Amino acid sequence: MTGATQFRRACALADVPEEGAIGVEVAGVPVAVVRADGELFALHDVCSHEEVPLSEGEIYDHTVECWLHGSCFDLRTGKPTGPPATKPVATYPVKVDGDDVYVALPD
Amino acid sequence: MAGLQGAVETAPVSRLHEMQSFDPADFPVPRGREEEWRFTPLRRLRGLHTDEPPGDGKVSVDVAAAAPGVTIEKVEHGDPRLGTAYVPADRVSARAFSSFREATLISVPADFESATPTHVAVRGESPDGAAFGHTVIDVQPHARAVVVLDHTGSATYADNVELIIGDGASLVVVSLQGWADDTVHLAHHHARLGRDARLTHTAVTLGGSVVRLAPSVRYAGPGGDAELRGLYFADAGQHMEHRLFVDHAERNCRSRVSYKGALQGNGAHSVWIGDVIIRPEATGTDTYEYNRNLVLTDDTRVDSVPNLEILTGEVAGAGHASASGRLEDQHLFYLMARGIPLDEARKLVIRGFFGELIGQMEVPELQDRVRAAVEAELA
Repeated sequence: MTGATQFRRACALADVPEEGAIGVEVAGVPVAVVRADGELFALHDVCSHEEVPLSEGEIYDHTVECWLHGSCFDLRTGKPTGPPATKPVATYPVKVDGDDVYVALPD
Repeated sequence: MAGLQGAVETAPVSRLHEMQSFDPADFPVPRGREEEWRFTPLRRLRGLHTDEPPGDGKVSVDVAAAAPGVTIEKVEHGDPRLGTAYVPADRVSARAFSSFREATLISVPADFESATPTHVAVRGESPDGAAFGHTVIDVQPHARAVVVLDHTGSATYADNVELIIGDGASLVVVSLQGWADDTVHLAHHHARLGRDARLTHTAVTLGGSVVRLAPSVRYAGPGGDAELRGLYFADAGQHMEHRLFVDHAERNCRSRVSYKGALQGNGAHSVWIGDVIIRPEATGTDTYEYNRNLVLTDDTRVDSVPNLEILTGEVAGAGHASASGRLEDQHLFYLMARGIPLDEARKLVIRGFFGELIGQMEVPELQDRVRAAVEAELA
């Protein structure tokens, strides 16, 4: 990521499933906010293979699985761990402030 | 087929093109997983596929008639000559039909002949707000006409073009999508060919953010002949989609679909869908369609899907082909071995790739323009 970033509110912390994902839109960008093992992650919410929201997929092994063709994306790096996707999805810094989740998108 | 009970059942014809309606509400808002929308980046359509944005965009349509015989009219909703050949086949198309303010009607009288093009200048002034259009080109029996649809400027635009080609008539249509980089354009061009009628439709898509053009053909009598050609060049971030559909429901008709594209730059995306149905009654059909794509850089994406559904064994010919790949190393080596530098060799091969289609264009002055535009893409 490059450039200055500004944290924007994504959702309420309570909206994020204990072990799972929620799809939100932040400043027009689709973002998947994921909670895995109590830790929060944010990724671009479109699979790099086809136009599928990753937030609809399952979380396991610190990856989110695209339900359509089964590519899994590492929650920390956004890199796919298997085909058909070959390119990573963007990942964003996350922070929790009070009851809300904030993500920082590149400008 | 009532007398053939117990015979092998024929599988139903593809349902993809079955749904037709003038009412946008008859089509659910696409979510992206539908077969006809799955390649289109819906979030970049600025809401054209929903009920947003309001239809206050500015797109002007100016027509310069080729000859005194050709009549140009601007007509409003409800004119009985609108929607006679085409019923919208998706939500955006239905929305365009229900929302246009003014339709353009170009009529070519029977037996009229002119090789001079009628020029339709479609110009967008701003990408804000959606604009909708409708055009009818009515070529009456045994007439011959040439029409150029010239799209330029910035717009968020959805339109339908009805091409009505009477018995024994001939129409050449060239549709140039030379939009600015912020334009979203979704269009249906539907042709109805009468007995022994001939259509040559050429799409040249070089500009725009998202361009989705769906040319389709239906024959209303035997002996029809449709040539559908296309040329596109997708740069970084551009989505160019061409969805062809030829419905052979009459005997002894011919169709050819030839589309070629090149892609370069991050996120350049081209989609080509070539659907042909040969219905049981369409004996003697002769059809072939192909798509070729040159992938010039990494990080582009090509989707190319030919579909052919043949429901009679009595065809004269039916085939399709699709190939997408990078420049052939041997071609480049051949040229470089003769002292031509790599850059120039690349351009030569790409020129040759497109040259065939450009050379077939029936409007000579457009050949030069398209050649120059391709050249500009390569610069």
